[in-house]
Amino acid sequence: MTTAAPARSTQVDARHPHVMDAESVSLGFGSATIMQDITVGFPTGTITALVGPSGSGKTTFLRSLNRMNDKVRNFWKRGSISLYGEEIDGDSVDPLVLRRRVGMVFQRPNPFPMSIQDNIVAGVKAHKMAKRSDLRDIAETQLAEVGLWSAVADRMNDSPFRLSGGQQQLLCLARALAVKPEVLLLDEPTSSLDPRSTEAVEELVRRLTPGLTVIIVTHNLEQARRLSDNTIFFYQGRLVETGPTVELFERPKRPETARYLGGAVDPGVDR
Amino acid sequence: MSEEPAVPPEGDRLPAEPDHSAGSQMANTMTREPSWRPRRRVVAERVLGVGSGVAALVPLAGLVAAVAVLLVEALPAIRYNGWHFITGSGFNPGNLYGKPVHTGGVLHFAGASYGAFPLIIGTIESAAIAVVVACPIAIGAAVLIVEKLPGRIANVVGFCLEVLAGIPSVVFGLWGVLTFGPWLSHNIYPALAHLPNFPPFSIFRGNTGYGQGLLSAGLVLAVMIIPIVAATTRDLLRQVPAATKEGAEALGMTDAEVFQTVQLRWVRTGVIGAIVLGLGRALGETIAVALVSGSILQTSSNIYGNMTTIAATIVSQLDAANTDTTGLEVKTLAEAALVLFLITVLVNIGARLLVRRSARGAALPVGAGF
Repeated sequence: MTTAAPARSTQVDARHPHVMDAESVSLGFGSATIMQDITVGFPTGTITALVGPSGSGKTTFLRSLNRMNDKVRNFWKRGSISLYGEEIDGDSVDPLVLRRRVGMVFQRPNPFPMSIQDNIVAGVKAHKMAKRSDLRDIAETQLAEVGLWSAVADRMNDSPFRLSGGQQQLLCLARALAVKPEVLLLDEPTSSLDPRSTEAVEELVRRLTPGLTVIIVTHNLEQARRLSDNTIFFYQGRLVETGPTVELFERPKRPETARYLGGAVDPGVDR
Repeated sequence: MSEEPAVPPEGDRLPAEPDHSAGSQMANTMTREPSWRPRRRVVAERVLGVGSGVAALVPLAGLVAAVAVLLVEALPAIRYNGWHFITGSGFNPGNLYGKPVHTGGVLHFAGASYGAFPLIIGTIESAAIAVVVACPIAIGAAVLIVEKLPGRIANVVGFCLEVLAGIPSVVFGLWGVLTFGPWLSHNIYPALAHLPNFPPFSIFRGNTGYGQGLLSAGLVLAVMIIPIVAATTRDLLRQVPAATKEGAEALGMTDAEVFQTVQLRWVRTGVIGAIVLGLGRALGETIAVALVSGSILQTSSNIYGNMTTIAATIVSQLDAANTDTTGLEVKTLAEAALVLFLITVLVNIGARLLVRRSARGAALPVGAGF
């Protein structure tokens, strides 16, 4: 029985140093504009943190990267978002395929009401990525990759709702990883978890790169600093500053960034 | 409020109100609140405890009393009718002009013979038709309301469902016998009777009658239980967390796959419960069936044939039964009621086993399975 995590191949493509690019993207709902004129790239195989005060539009932006806002009423988008140079809104793009390639994990663990094993392979089954007889092995491999296998090995057919919050979130990560995404969007994935579970999730995310590109929304600046290669600071629907995390945290160029990183409640006001 | 334990010395206390209960004594020594307040709280606690205890006992006592009364009432009939009651047919009070005789200590007219087999079969058949027809429609309607229809239209449809649930059953019965049944026998049954002659369609072969009978009764019952099943399913579907559905969408699932993965599993056991509720109503429905069934104490000759159910028989025979001066026919109707009660209990137990089996290892979130 193999419990070793599968090696993820690095997919750096010389023509596309960025796995995803946003160009002059504006987003909003109805008459409200949430994000204005965002142009930013996500380098392949890196971790990018999206930070900013509540209401700065980070989550809306993140959800646009795999078109999770499509169904939201009155949502609109201008500008272009591309995956390996291909526009994700193009007519030839199937949002279902896009979401397989650009996976997402949410703020709170959201296991499906089915056994642990079925949870892991739900996406694999939907995309017909494996034979029925291989599903158990896939579930085991994925659980091993997120470090959950030893904890659940003897209860693969049990409810995931009996797992702890941290274990449930790892399960959701395993579920998202099982469909072999190229990009993983994390929307405050540790905000409902205890410190040890947070550590486990962070350790996993670090281990997943550079085989995978990770974009993480976080309110935890320490987490952004620990985890990410690049940081983007959003404020009031605008991209204020972006750059390598170390530089941004050590030498912020914009006063709003400095104030926010310094713990200001409202980075727009100099006190 | 300060966390300091500040028990005032005895002299600092507010003047104590006269002691009415033992509770106030405890309150005086154990709390630092003014003495009148704990007493009220203790009393409120007692009222709640005793009140809820009584309230909880009422349904239980009612059930026990109902079964006991039925059993006592039915006992002579059970002894006289024996197994014939379950396996035989015909309601014959015997020679009402002759002299009553005793058999095994039970007074009856000569030749009295009661068999409820057609009633039992009719009850089960009509309820089964109702459930088979109603469930797909009701569940489909609920899914449509929650998943597809825009909010305002969904509310209107939901309101209609609730109105439908509140219509008295006699109205359904009249509508069934005057409008729905005849319409069915003119427009639907002839077509059904011409379906190919192999199972399962072959059950629709035969004389289609005039609109009263087994299928009409089953369909009227179906209309009556649709709102029960639909409204419950709708409420269950609305409780499915949006976050879980989003998780499935984020994996690139189609709407149908999301539904299968999340909603269906989330509501499954609850929907079984709703179906049992509807089945219970169909088994026990009285007046609508009495009007639509054709009311003959025989097993239906085909799916369109006249028939009756236990509940419908009780209501239609009670008058005649009172003319039986030995009282045996009334006691026999009590026995029939007991059988109906048993069927309902068995159905409920069966449903519980089904729910338990479908829930085993199926990973239901805590609180999501009823």
